[in-house]
Amino acid sequence: MERSFATEIESLKLGEGQTFRGEGILAVTKALLQSGVSYVGGYQGAPVSHLLDVMVQARDYMDELGVHVEACTNEASAAALLGASIAYPVRGAVTWKSIVGTNVASDALSYLSTAGVMGGALIVAGEDYGEGASVALERTHAFAMKSSLWMLDPRPSLPVIVRMVEKGFELSEASNSPVIVDLRIRACHVQGEFRARANRPAALSTRHRGAAAGFDYDRLSHPPAIFRQERLKVEVRLPAARRFIAEHKLNEVFDGELRELGIIVQGGLYNNVLRALQLLGLADAFGASRLPILALNVVYPLVPEEIVGFCRDKRAVLLLEEGQPEFIEQDVATTLRRHDAQVKLHGKDLMPLAGEYSTEHMAQGLRKFLAQHEPRLDLPGGGRWLAEVAGVRERAAKLLGSPLPARPPGFCVGCPERPVFAALKLAERETGRPHISGDIGCHAFATFEPFSMGNSILGYGMSLASAAAVGPMMAQRPLAVMGDGGFWHNGLLSGVASSQLNRGDSVLVIMKNGYSSATGTQELLSSPPPQARDASGRSAVHADRTIENALAGLGVNWVKTVSTYDVAKMKRTLTEALTTEAQGLKVIIADGECQLERQRRVRPATARQLAAGERVVRVKYGVDEDTCTGDHSCIRLSGCPTLTVKDNPDPLRRDPVATVIDGCVGCGLCGENAHAATLCPSFYRAEVIHNPTLRDRVLRGLRNLLVPA
Amino acid sequence: MSIPERSLTVLVAALGGEGGGVLADWLMHAARDCGFPAQATSIPGVAQRTGATTYYLEIFPAKREVLGGREPVMSLTPSPGNVDVMVASELLEAGRAMQNGFVSPERTTLIASTHRIYATVEKMQMADGRFPEERVLAAAKQLAKHAVLFDMRKMAEDNGTVINAVLFGAMTGSGALPLPRAACETAIMRAGKGAQASLRGFAAGYDIAAGARPPPALSPRPPPPETREIIELGVARLRDYQGEAYARLYLERIATLGNADPELVGETGRQLALWMSYEDIIRVADLKTRRSRFARVRQEVGAKDGEPVIMIDYLKPGLDEMASLLPPFLGRRLLSWAGARGKLDAYNVGLHVKTSGIGGYLLMRSLAWLKPWRPRTYRYREEQALIERWLAAVRAAAPGSTALALEIVACAGLLKGYGETHRRGRSNFLAILDDLVQNPAAGDAAARTPAIRNAREAALADPEQKALEKTLGRPVTWLRPAKSR
Repeated sequence: MERSFATEIESLKLGEGQTFRGEGILAVTKALLQSGVSYVGGYQGAPVSHLLDVMVQARDYMDELGVHVEACTNEASAAALLGASIAYPVRGAVTWKSIVGTNVASDALSYLSTAGVMGGALIVAGEDYGEGASVALERTHAFAMKSSLWMLDPRPSLPVIVRMVEKGFELSEASNSPVIVDLRIRACHVQGEFRARANRPAALSTRHRGAAAGFDYDRLSHPPAIFRQERLKVEVRLPAARRFIAEHKLNEVFDGELRELGIIVQGGLYNNVLRALQLLGLADAFGASRLPILALNVVYPLVPEEIVGFCRDKRAVLLLEEGQPEFIEQDVATTLRRHDAQVKLHGKDLMPLAGEYSTEHMAQGLRKFLAQHEPRLDLPGGGRWLAEVAGVRERAAKLLGSPLPARPPGFCVGCPERPVFAALKLAERETGRPHISGDIGCHAFATFEPFSMGNSILGYGMSLASAAAVGPMMAQRPLAVMGDGGFWHNGLLSGVASSQLNRGDSVLVIMKNGYSSATGTQELLSSPPPQARDASGRSAVHADRTIENALAGLGVNWVKTVSTYDVAKMKRTLTEALTTEAQGLKVIIADGECQLERQRRVRPATARQLAAGERVVRVKYGVDEDTCTGDHSCIRLSGCPTLTVKDNPDPLRRDPVATVIDGCVGCGLCGENAHAATLCPSFYRAEVIHNPTLRDRVLRGLRNLLVPA
Repeated sequence: MSIPERSLTVLVAALGGEGGGVLADWLMHAARDCGFPAQATSIPGVAQRTGATTYYLEIFPAKREVLGGREPVMSLTPSPGNVDVMVASELLEAGRAMQNGFVSPERTTLIASTHRIYATVEKMQMADGRFPEERVLAAAKQLAKHAVLFDMRKMAEDNGTVINAVLFGAMTGSGALPLPRAACETAIMRAGKGAQASLRGFAAGYDIAAGARPPPALSPRPPPPETREIIELGVARLRDYQGEAYARLYLERIATLGNADPELVGETGRQLALWMSYEDIIRVADLKTRRSRFARVRQEVGAKDGEPVIMIDYLKPGLDEMASLLPPFLGRRLLSWAGARGKLDAYNVGLHVKTSGIGGYLLMRSLAWLKPWRPRTYRYREEQALIERWLAAVRAAAPGSTALALEIVACAGLLKGYGETHRRGRSNFLAILDDLVQNPAAGDAAARTPAIRNAREAALADPEQKALEKTLGRPVTWLRPAKSR
């Protein structure tokens, strides 16, 4: 794993009354333990990876508490894990990145919510929406509504988040329904503090095992029970949930002097709307607002009495609900109409239909709202601010002259996946560019410069499946790229098995780097065995053959394993796969361990050796500035952060020359590319011998008689 | 004590792996030690993989005790115009902050390092795709209320630490934070590992921002050489390349321009010197075995005195290189044979030559010793003929329009690289020379000048030649501007 959570594990052990300090998602983790969970699972992905990562690393402590931790292979298996709470009074929580994880989990979620739960079942969903998002932008809210899952969207303050997790379990048990705690990216990463409570060991746990439940047809999501269960959802569980929400005051009302107006806001947006009000001069730094606010820490279901109660005696309310469609607004509108409440409801008519609600958007929306309903209100500060911002942006644009070059994320220094795309770029010169079916994972960085490759991305592990109908229509075979993470997440069944059943003829490249790298190098089924991970920094992934065996088991015959750094061989293999007469799925296993993991082993080992005075050979690549002509074709085949440009030292030349800067890990791609693409003679490999032995020094002396090196 | 009206806001723009998260932790610790409520958020995600990312903090500059149990409500996202301290760990990211409206003249102290880490789109261009730094610097000085700009990466390297320590020091030294120096240093020390180096970096940043010591001197780019200097450099270069007679040939060629515009003479002299010293295998072998080269590599890879450095050169000579050494009639036949069969790149041999070893060194030197043979080679004959053709076109255009002549001169810039890159550049050059210079469709110099420039820029903009093909799509219309990427 990329990160060590040693310090964070200690804060999970805090007792009654001690102060927890840390980020939101770890506060949630602590809250799970305070709630007495028996099991926790999930699938990694920003922004919730840390929840599971810290639990996996804290396995000893979890054993002590009797908590079972399951690093699931996908979100469907994580959702199914919650099935334990159907027949047993145990609390459990799972986590994943949403919307994508919820999509994958949705089958199990439907059945789970239909059967209903006995023990509290919590889904901690990282809502990957807005700035920083990396997935399709959709709302998790829709799943909550269609599956009768209650959804919490807590105010982003650690004490509130922790309370909502604890109350979420109670709500789940009081209404026999699973509960989603939805956390936005920044809420997961917000640093704050709360007063901890003691962790609660569960009655039924890995330490205190029980007997299997008796047969009860009503707990099966199967006909005829499903017909009754659907009615139970709306007739029993929903009213029970609403009662609980109202009784425990999960939603919060903040009064304000302008009583005839009001704001209804998703809890997660509360802090930002407060900032917008502050900028308009309508609130102070401590949340005292002139406009009354209803903060919905529970966004589904709404409690009609609370909505009507808040709106009573008001002329107009503004509903601030991020994303689309505007489910809450529709819900509120229906409620108000049914109660014949005469308040004017605003929402998406004044706010952007799509996208994140920034402070600026909210201030603009509030201004429009107030202009209609309280025109005498003086908002000089706010108006000035909005105008100033526009002016500053305009001035900056003028001074900068042209938009700045984008800086998307990319492959790390020495990444084993980069050479595959270099080889593909070279192979295309012979074969023509095939249809390239992309996937989720680090390899998706190949969609950016300098590779700009990929015709579609259909989800995690879906690349091969999404090329299935392309192949039969194209003159040339399509090529699907998939990581080993994607392979185990979904690709093996949705892609490979389906291709085998249908006698597909595509090419599949599997990036076997050994870990779920994009999410923080978590372990996979095919991660290299610990004894293969030595301090030499050599790729260890060849030591595990689970992927190869799985492919063989499914009857895939054309499988070639190629070291990714061997660009020439990779190019030949790609060309062969794209052009061979052989029918059927052709799989190229691009074998090269994640460089982050390798460097995690090499760096400390090298530092120790150097300190001990041992002989260490450090490899670095470089470019000869006097033979480089500055055409940068090497960069167009690489994009490595350490292969960059600098001013041309030759006074007669203008264009910058290529150069390799510090940080080069000596992966060798530059040299391989120079050879495979016949680029130029400027690349050299230098091996610096630290702490040279007597032999090294004598040899150097001899060489220096002739060579001025 | 009066209670401030609002939180102080800090936005840190960094690149993945620069320690932005640690910097945020330091700030949180320091604020907490002062008893100030504070909050930090970030959007790490995949941006941690070398992309641009941000960290956002709010600090309420009043001790909790005086707040009477009230807790400030802090925003999770920065809003434009409301950033008190904008920190950028790299110059382009400072520009991005300004572009997004986060640097306001009313309020913002901008702390930015002036070094550049080029984005892929900047460095992958055929020519120079770098964003003009001076524009970002000028904008920073105009847009920020107070700007602290110096090369913090250099400062970090000098102090054996990471840039975040210098940034932290500069923030504190600028006086824009409500945190005393001692609290910040305590926060750094708490981290333990590497704390001493971080403290040195912090002190350096602090002192410079506080004006207690001067920022590291910028090494300004040398001004482009003037015409006279260019000719001198050209003569020296060609004397080194092929001897006195060749240098004289250079001067004679320059002399044929007569009393043309000095800028045109300079540019022609520059391109001509580069072209006449074209990189054949003899030249490469010579450059790779010079004492100065070995010394430079040792310095580049950071080898200390007494540490042996093994140098291995990646060479892959093929038919092009072979033909370039042959006499003209043989070279021409070899290449036309190979060209007709599409085998120009079929026989390249990948070599790893250990130039620092005796065998490799002797191999390279023996190639370099072929220098006297060069004037008898096929490549030499070809290059000189094309040079004469190009010079003739320049001479023909010069009396009518210096601008047109300059455009023709600049086309020689397309000839660079090796192997396939060089062939592509040469075919682009020839296409322009054939179509636009020597057989222009119509029009006077005023129309031909931009046409040539557009075609040249199209060839440079898109190394895969797609843009040029589109622009060259016959019948030729050269009005479409080069696609900016």
